[in-house]
Amino acid sequence: MVELLLPKNSKVKNGKNFKSKGNNKNRKKFLIYRYDPDSNDNPRVDNYDLDISNSGPMVLDALISIKNKLDPTLTFRRSCREGVCGSCAMNIDGTNTLACTKYISDVKGPIKVYPLPHMPVIKDLVPDLKGIYKQYNSIEPWLKTKTANNEDRERIQSPKDREDLDGLYECIMCFCCSTSCPSYWWNGDKYLGPAVLLQAWRWIADSRDEASEERLEKLQDSFKLYRCHTIMNCTKTCPKGLNPAKAISNIKKKILARN
Amino acid sequence: MKNKNRPLSPHLSIYKPQITSILSISHRISGVFQSLGLLIIIILLLSLLLGENYHKYYMSFIESYLGKLFIFFYIFSLSYHMFNGIRHILWDLGFGFEMKNVYYSGYTIIFLTLILGTFLLIN
Repeated sequence: MVELLLPKNSKVKNGKNFKSKGNNKNRKKFLIYRYDPDSNDNPRVDNYDLDISNSGPMVLDALISIKNKLDPTLTFRRSCREGVCGSCAMNIDGTNTLACTKYISDVKGPIKVYPLPHMPVIKDLVPDLKGIYKQYNSIEPWLKTKTANNEDRERIQSPKDREDLDGLYECIMCFCCSTSCPSYWWNGDKYLGPAVLLQAWRWIADSRDEASEERLEKLQDSFKLYRCHTIMNCTKTCPKGLNPAKAISNIKKKILARN
Repeated sequence: MKNKNRPLSPHLSIYKPQITSILSISHRISGVFQSLGLLIIIILLLSLLLGENYHKYYMSFIESYLGKLFIFFYIFSLSYHMFNGIRHILWDLGFGFEMKNVYYSGYTIIFLTLILGTFLLIN
């Protein structure tokens, strides 16, 4: 259901101010969403005034600086720091992206950092992704075959068939797209969302997979698939430059051709 | 974990408005507005049926500022909904999904809406 306003326990309050010492010319303000599960307080936005002269160029570098120098309680996920793991997906300056590939200098004025939108928050910038992983599991993201395996070799694929997977296999499952989609905000319990649907298409498009029919049958549902209204926020925000909207359109066309 | 009642992260209030989402919600709103516009047309036909006096009442509403404002929005939402509808048909056929084309078609329909809306308004 569409609920435009946040529930009572989620309303964001003003938080604390932190300021780092040092060079006063090269500073940047960060307004960061905080939520402490061990207290009964509502989430708040803390204000960090950071000297960035010794920090790296990315927002993730700044977050690490803040954690090291100003406030060790700040919590966020990060791992590869080069845009291949998808851990540090968050809402920066109003759009979803990876903190590790977003330049500090790309944002004018204070940088607002929030967790991925419309998600249950575990702590600070860490959203609970259980629901979305469950949805991912529901599309059975593995190769399904009916013909017998050839014992002495793997299932082969022509270079041309392999090309069909370009723009799909690169997805790192950061869920920037799904959590940017207003339709997923309102119907995320039933609508699968762009990330999961792109994965669904990745297996339908795979020439080695022999379960396309069953996959399409399962997707033909007014909620799972057809809550996509071609808003295109997903494609706009994808930090890997992929096109989930196009993938969803491909599924719709395939279902149409089959009926 | 003590607190299982996890808060919901902010969404609409913090997400940056952009061509993609703004044109999409405008499509809905202009659709709703057209249903209202249809009502106005039905009332016009009814007033014609009921006789001169009723029609005069009707026209006095249409010529009031409120009426004019309504007609203004009705005409623009009609033009917008039509052009964006064509854009949606192209998407349904599988065209125009590259981000560059989404912006190009978006600006094009805004431009066409302004032209057609102004043209209809003048006539």
